[in-house]
Amino acid sequence: MPPSPPGLRNHKGNEREYIQNCLKECRAEIRTQDMDVKATALLKLVYLEMVGHDMSWASFHVLEVMSSQKYHQKRVGYLAAVQSFRPDTDVLMMATNLLKKDAAASAPTIIALPIAALPHLVTPSLAMSLLGDLLPRLSHSHAAIRKKTVVTLYRLALVYPEALRASWPKIKERLMDPDEDSSVTAAIVNVVCELGWRRPHDFLPLAPRLFELLVDGGNNWMAIKLIKLFATLTPLEPRLVRKLLPPLTNLIRTTPAMSLLYECINGIIQGGILGDGEDFSAREEVASLCVTKLRGMVSVNSDPNLKYVALLAFNRIVVTHPFLVAQQEDVILECIDSEDISIRIKALDLVQGMVSSDNLVSIVSRLMRQLKASSAALQQQDGLPGQEAETDSSDETGADLRRRRKTLEHAPPLPDDYTVDVVGRILKMCSQDNYANMVDFEWYIDILTQLVRIAPAPRARDSDLEASTSKLPGEISEKIGNEIRNVAVKVQAIRTAAVRAAELVISRMESEISSTRPVVSGALKPVAWIVGEYAFQLLSPDDTLQQLLALIPRVEYPEVLATCLQAVLKLFAHVAGDDRALWTPERKASVSLLMARVIHVLEPFASHPYLEVQERAVEFIELLKLTAEAAAGQTASTAEVQQDPPLLLTQAIPSLFNGWELNSVAVGTQQNVPMPDDLDLDEPIHSDLASLLAQADALMLPTQGDDEFEAYYNQKPAATSMSSEPAINRLLDAPEEISGSYQQSEESYLDPDIVARRKADRLERYRDDPFYIPDSTASGGRSTPIHTILQKENGPDLDIDAIPIMQLDLEKINLSGRGTPSNTNPRHPSPLAKPPPRQRIIVAADETLGNGSGRSTPRYDSESTFPTDPRTSSKSTKRLKQQSLLQVKSSHLGDLTLGEAHHKQPGQGSRPADPLAHERQQREEAEMALALKEVQRLRLEMQRANERIQVAQGVPEEGVVVKSARRKKVVKKKTEGGGEEGGGGEGEVVKKKKKVKKAGEGEGGPSNAAPVAVKTKKKKVKRVVRLEEEGSEAAAGQ
Amino acid sequence: MINAFLVFNGQGQPRLTKFYTQLDTSIQQRLISEIFTLVSNRAPGSCNFLPLPPLLAASSTSTSSSSPHEQSDVPSLVTYRNYATLYFIVISTSTESPLALIDLIQVYVEALDRLFENVCELDLIFNFETLHATLGEMVVGGVVIETNMERIVAGVRAQGTVAKRPVNESRTGGGGLAGSLGAGLGMGGMVWHGR
Repeated sequence: MPPSPPGLRNHKGNEREYIQNCLKECRAEIRTQDMDVKATALLKLVYLEMVGHDMSWASFHVLEVMSSQKYHQKRVGYLAAVQSFRPDTDVLMMATNLLKKDAAASAPTIIALPIAALPHLVTPSLAMSLLGDLLPRLSHSHAAIRKKTVVTLYRLALVYPEALRASWPKIKERLMDPDEDSSVTAAIVNVVCELGWRRPHDFLPLAPRLFELLVDGGNNWMAIKLIKLFATLTPLEPRLVRKLLPPLTNLIRTTPAMSLLYECINGIIQGGILGDGEDFSAREEVASLCVTKLRGMVSVNSDPNLKYVALLAFNRIVVTHPFLVAQQEDVILECIDSEDISIRIKALDLVQGMVSSDNLVSIVSRLMRQLKASSAALQQQDGLPGQEAETDSSDETGADLRRRRKTLEHAPPLPDDYTVDVVGRILKMCSQDNYANMVDFEWYIDILTQLVRIAPAPRARDSDLEASTSKLPGEISEKIGNEIRNVAVKVQAIRTAAVRAAELVISRMESEISSTRPVVSGALKPVAWIVGEYAFQLLSPDDTLQQLLALIPRVEYPEVLATCLQAVLKLFAHVAGDDRALWTPERKASVSLLMARVIHVLEPFASHPYLEVQERAVEFIELLKLTAEAAAGQTASTAEVQQDPPLLLTQAIPSLFNGWELNSVAVGTQQNVPMPDDLDLDEPIHSDLASLLAQADALMLPTQGDDEFEAYYNQKPAATSMSSEPAINRLLDAPEEISGSYQQSEESYLDPDIVARRKADRLERYRDDPFYIPDSTASGGRSTPIHTILQKENGPDLDIDAIPIMQLDLEKINLSGRGTPSNTNPRHPSPLAKPPPRQRIIVAADETLGNGSGRSTPRYDSESTFPTDPRTSSKSTKRLKQQSLLQVKSSHLGDLTLGEAHHKQPGQGSRPADPLAHERQQREEAEMALALKEVQRLRLEMQRANERIQVAQGVPEEGVVVKSARRKKVVKKKTEGGGEEGGGGEGEVVKKKKKVKKAGEGEGGPSNAAPVAVKTKKKKVKRVVRLEEEGSEAAAGQ
Repeated sequence: MINAFLVFNGQGQPRLTKFYTQLDTSIQQRLISEIFTLVSNRAPGSCNFLPLPPLLAASSTSTSSSSPHEQSDVPSLVTYRNYATLYFIVISTSTESPLALIDLIQVYVEALDRLFENVCELDLIFNFETLHATLGEMVVGGVVIETNMERIVAGVRAQGTVAKRPVNESRTGGGGLAGSLGAGLGMGGMVWHGR
């Protein structure tokens, strides 16, 4: 009865049809009465389910086969149930009795079926009703049944915690029993390990036995589990540490099993045994032993699996002992370049916590190199010419580096998810703590420019994977753009460079993306904002405006579009609004043309569905139309008559955008702005808006001039930071850097044009610097003799940039000469203490008001994605509720206390004070059944008694019957009195019983007085009367 | 604990799926195909651990801020092993030892090899009931109950005879599919022996 696959192979080409036929066949076969056919069909269905064909419709047939008498059919039924039953399968309710019956079967193979199936099917109610049937299986004669039962009880307890309380004494007994089968012990240890991390306190008393098992267990799997368990116990019981250390170190030194060795180390780490304590020297020894072993695992030539698990271990150590991990930085960094993505990701996790201003550049460089290589490979795959057109000038590339790049270039492209992840990490590392680790912002800008190009193209926004929307690549490029914007806003010294970068991004976007394809990059939004806001710092605002106008019709997302529209008008205001230039005929013509062009581009958006876009477009179109009229009306100045440009153009439009400088504001600051008392929102803002505008203009323009003035004289040329740092420092910082020099490594991950621009910048900056040795190729005859001598002596390998450059520290002179320069941030009280390059770069803190909900400095503003953000954390807690796929929740167990179970002796389970709900429930059920029986019998007796009263007096035989019944009752009553109060229903029954019983007593008369009856003698008469009344009523009824 | 045990072949066709939680068939299939994509892109000489597939990663990152206790419940480890034409995958939480799981897969394959005498992919297709039975002797409800091969094999045999593949469907028909898994077992020189 082979299921479909062989047939499948015979039907190559039309598998679909074949499977549909197969399903149809199965549907028919499963309805037959022949059990064999039915079971075979079911087995086929299970196979098809595995391949993805739903079989929930067959759940009733599954039940039918499960209840078959033959084992091999039953087995198929159970398998089908395990594979196909889902939480909403309703026939499960009907299976309860079947499961109970099979769990009580005599053949061990049959018992095993429900036990193994239950973990897959269990619901709280099912667990409750089956618990009683499973508990006895813990002492089954077959070890296989016992060990499976232990595990099943654990799974029962996950949904029905009471199950654990009821079964724990027995499980514990099994664990303590030295004669127990070793595999049962191992299974119990596995279960205890699963429980252990959730409720370590309950398992401390077991420590001696567990220790015993660890020392002479001989089973590696169990030893691993025990070590894991002990790791959760040691924090609670520090004395365990001393006991554990010798066997653990012994295992580490001797075991041939790598898995055990690793878990020993892991256990020592997790158990906090590395922590500081009184026995310092011994711990020191252990710590160094562990770390050396781990280091050996991570090192270059080791097994990749060991590398991976060692990184896992480091990831755990880094939480408690960061210094131990920091010592291993070299080998860990090596792992970032591993070909294996699993290893890379783990190494990245680690590295993220190790970033400092010293190693940031080298870490990011590594990552950038990977990304660059991958995107190059991707382009090659797409048939596009690779970006990497080996343009290196002769003296700068070491052979080593070239080789390295070659191998990387041949690496397969990285998956998009990984690329996005890495880019996100780079941004996070660099921007951490308000750019605390960032030394060279110019370098950062270059990195960002490169990242915009590398960032994977976004998928369609309406993808069906809602779960992954947070990771859409469109968002990652927007994040990169946001970073450029943040730097431009926050770091004034570097603003020019950031604006140039933005300009570059836009021009590249315009030229690279073919004119028919939509623009989807999210980076456009922040970048467009930058070119609009800082238009005066653009190299060629005209070109940028044209490029932006060319891009706008193709922009895909309305949010991006809205920002672009705003940027266009800002740019236009800058380009056309110069009030000092003459209103020449040429200017008039070009401005009119430009306006016509802008209006033409904006026009289609006047009816855009997205309101923000529509509103802006309409506003700008109207404004520009007005301006166009004004411009047309204003005759151009001629040689004789000088004409001013229209005010609307030079004053009104620019003043829309000139105001205070925009700074980054901390999250939540808005809420802290107090509402002024005298603010009346209904009052018109000003009666004479025009004069106000004029005033504002008069105020604003000089300030701006001042700014420029100040920037020019008081601030150093931007970004001297990195390049002016003595190269020797860098050598000291990163001696392991594979690539010989900073520039070389840069070239390996930046596009040639970015590198070229960088070089040109540097050349420009140092043209007049006598200490800077310029590139001989570029500077023609200016090469100094020393340079040529050096080159001859040391060969071409000499790295010019590595030569320490004397630096004239103007800052120090400034300090001694005059007061602190105006741009030195007062937050740095001792600039001398800081490394020189850091002084110049001032990163503006987020602005905030008061100390309320808005947090200030260490955050920056675009980062709703970072976990520290209160909004996201609340979001994540919300999402927390949504359980992970495949996850089995064990949190219910947390509420359960096993404490009482520990104190209780197994034999005395039925004590009155026993709170064990399960046993109580069982007892109640039994009592209830007994009581019902009694009631029925007494009812019968009462009837007879009635007859007797009617017919005759005291037949001796019957009296005997009554007496025996009463005696039973008395015993019964005693147990009830001793037991705790029953439930409501039971109480009722008891009452009834008592009443009936008393009636019986009355009938029996004083002659058969039982001990209880003596006490109630006085009331007897009354009762007899009542009995007689009843009797007479009965008689009347007759 | 172990959250799922999967076997599929080089084309991503499932040969055994065992999820220790109840999961919709469609989600099961999506998870399998995601893992298959990850597995099939592994470079030779890579380690036996996979990064989390998107389906699992999405849910585990959302809980990243939660307590370490919560994290022990979340599937966080995907271990795989390749034998001839087949991939064996174990998805587990962090309470399992990664290296020991590699061994566990090895034990499983060796047990199958013992039961089928030189097991191949065809055996698994025709006897997938036995496949389940063998796994059932090793893992119950996501908890490992046995790692001793003798006992596993004995436990499966106790449930009835293991059917051999039909004669007319022998290896000749199998073609590329029927590469012997036994070849994969030759790699006994592993560094760790967890059993």
